[in-house]
Amino acid sequence: MAFNYDEYLRLDKMPTLWCWGCGDGVILKAFIRAIDKLGISKDDVCVVSGIGCSGRFSSYVDFNTVHTTHGRTVAYATGIKLANPDKHVICVAGDGDALAIGGNHTIHGCRRNIDITMIVINNFIYGLTNSQTSPTTPRGYWSVTMKQGNIDPTFDGCELAIASGASFVAREKVTEPKKLEKVFVKALQHKGFAYLDILSNCHINLGRKNKMASAMDNLDWIDEITMPKKKYDALSEEEKLNKLPTGILKEDTEAEEYCDMYGKLQEVYQGKREKFTPADFKKVI
Amino acid sequence: MSLMKAPENTPVWTDESRCKACDICVAVCPAGVLAMRYEPHSVLGAMITVEAPELCIGCNDCELTCPDFAIFVADRKEYKFAKLTDAAKERAEKIKQNNYMTLSAS
Amino acid sequence: MAREVISSGNDLAAIAAVDAGCMFFGGYPITPSSEVMHTISDLLPKVGGVCIQMEDEIAGICAAIGASMSGVRAMTATSGPGMSLKAENLGLAQMAEVPLVVVDVMRGGPSTGLPTRVSQGDVSQAKNPSHGDYKSITLCAGNLDECYTEVIRAFNLADRFMQPVIVLLDETIGHMHAKAVLPDLEEVKAGIKPRKTFEGPAEEYRPYGVAQDEPAVLNPMFKGYRYHFTGLHHDAMGFPTEEIETCRKLIDRLFRKVDEHKDELESNEEFMLDDAEILIIGYGSASLAVKEAIIRLRDEGIKAGMFRPITLWPSPEERLYELGQKFDKVLSVELNQGQYLEEIQRAMGRKDIQKLTKTNGRPFSPQDIIDKVKEVF
Repeated sequence: MAFNYDEYLRLDKMPTLWCWGCGDGVILKAFIRAIDKLGISKDDVCVVSGIGCSGRFSSYVDFNTVHTTHGRTVAYATGIKLANPDKHVICVAGDGDALAIGGNHTIHGCRRNIDITMIVINNFIYGLTNSQTSPTTPRGYWSVTMKQGNIDPTFDGCELAIASGASFVAREKVTEPKKLEKVFVKALQHKGFAYLDILSNCHINLGRKNKMASAMDNLDWIDEITMPKKKYDALSEEEKLNKLPTGILKEDTEAEEYCDMYGKLQEVYQGKREKFTPADFKKVI
Repeated sequence: MSLMKAPENTPVWTDESRCKACDICVAVCPAGVLAMRYEPHSVLGAMITVEAPELCIGCNDCELTCPDFAIFVADRKEYKFAKLTDAAKERAEKIKQNNYMTLSAS
Repeated sequence: MAREVISSGNDLAAIAAVDAGCMFFGGYPITPSSEVMHTISDLLPKVGGVCIQMEDEIAGICAAIGASMSGVRAMTATSGPGMSLKAENLGLAQMAEVPLVVVDVMRGGPSTGLPTRVSQGDVSQAKNPSHGDYKSITLCAGNLDECYTEVIRAFNLADRFMQPVIVLLDETIGHMHAKAVLPDLEEVKAGIKPRKTFEGPAEEYRPYGVAQDEPAVLNPMFKGYRYHFTGLHHDAMGFPTEEIETCRKLIDRLFRKVDEHKDELESNEEFMLDDAEILIIGYGSASLAVKEAIIRLRDEGIKAGMFRPITLWPSPEERLYELGQKFDKVLSVELNQGQYLEEIQRAMGRKDIQKLTKTNGRPFSPQDIIDKVKEVF
């Protein structure tokens, strides 16, 4: 016997339209393994994707799937989740979708700490539309809108998520698929907003003009710029500048989840509970 | 656990209709089991081949890193995998130096 | 038993939504529509529904569309600037055939315009808020009662035609606080027509594989029928495709599902038209001034009558054409620069329609209309 991925795939859509060696496929695989490990029924899952190569993720999995407009996955997912609070709702978005056009919705999904797992496939570029700069494109790298070297400062989605109030924040990469599966399992079990920065390779767009035109070169680069959080924490401020920590960066199992809170609000209106006052909350301001 | 029936007595097998010749599985295999063969009618002119199944240690790295669901590894309970030898490691290194292509005559 | 209440247009829209079975509201504050959200934020949680004030206008409609995709009746409310922001996602709801009620309480525009003052400036926009080709369904409440009844009708039409239905109010009617007579609640509940669902085996389910004059049949999520929603052109299961015939037939169907059933959509009021010699066309709060003007004109022996479209889009073009043939003297009255006038001219095939327009945020007084009638006829 071996793992039967076909059970979770929309087989008539295979092979995927992603380029050869694209990390999106590795993420898809780890996600399927995580769902299977948790024994979650396919009918209880909704995957909401955005626009971009990552946007095609939702058409490959045999769940309830939605392909939304650019940047709005968290907003759509919020509606789906609030209307069906006991179901698993997962967002899949790229770095541009989640942090550029969708930045506002990402922030507020984190702020509400609504029980959604957000998988941000961070390949440091706009892939599908051919190599435009994204908020995570490294400085000095070539992009089609910054051909003389990217001057735009970069942006750490995990720090944004932590500051905005997400209760589970982690970063993993496609070169460590076993850890990827583990973090998906943890995030799916976590009650609250789980922001996952998943570093992936786009050797066709980012890599080709930035000296890493093969999948392996781009994947090696991802390994070079990352290190586990424990090791990262021991670095000097200067050494930290050009490394990204991987692993679980924040985990708060006590934070109030939005659907739970709204359920309590419904009870107030139905006369089963007293209305909320500042005394009900630890952090009021 | 979603399971499928594996071919008899096989440590690792492939689905050539899905392989896009990205080289990743060959690159991550520690034991020189895999290599790309020349295949003029396929994507990038190459195709995955399980050249030395007897060297397979069952680490599962090829299956987990394949983005296209094109390579599968048997369950430990059903197949007795080999142990990693220096010869296997050397073979793996040679294949990598050969741009992941098969070492046999092209 | 009919119910007599004292309420405002915005409040009635909220009450109507909940009476119609709406269980989700996603919105954002914007004058003069905010009261819809304020009121519904108290009504929905009581019945186990959800009202969420999202972080911006776009998120407001996205959350509502998401909830509707999952199978519940959903609504959002806004004004002109919000409609502009929501346009892209309105397009997704049209393309993916997701039912939704969008209440637009019109205010002075363009841009920030006159937030607390009236206009009917979103009429053209309501016909084509988003890019591309699709058919808008837009209703316009012309009095306080209709703020309730048109929202009820909107929910039923949204589920019948599987697309967004825009309900235009304007600031005057939204904020008008007076007596309204509402239909019996049992009647309203009995009249709820939920969206069609497919009951057969999941393998045979084709959500978008329907006849060319029919809307998609979209089962609620999480019930064993798994399919795909997308804004891309799509096939019978909802998956993206660029196939020539599939794409042609999809857009064709988005039009035909509405065009071939206009009889289910058309709704007009004809006020004192039988013996009239002058036809006045008005809608929304302007129609209230028109009616009063007509009564006063008739006291002076001038026989005017009003045609009031309640469903603005698709327009009652056949009836407009008939009226254009019957009446020599036609005056269009609207609180914009002549947005519906364009449609009236097109439907009647005439360029000589008189117009009374106003865009300074003030309502029409009956005298405005009386003066204009005397001036031009």
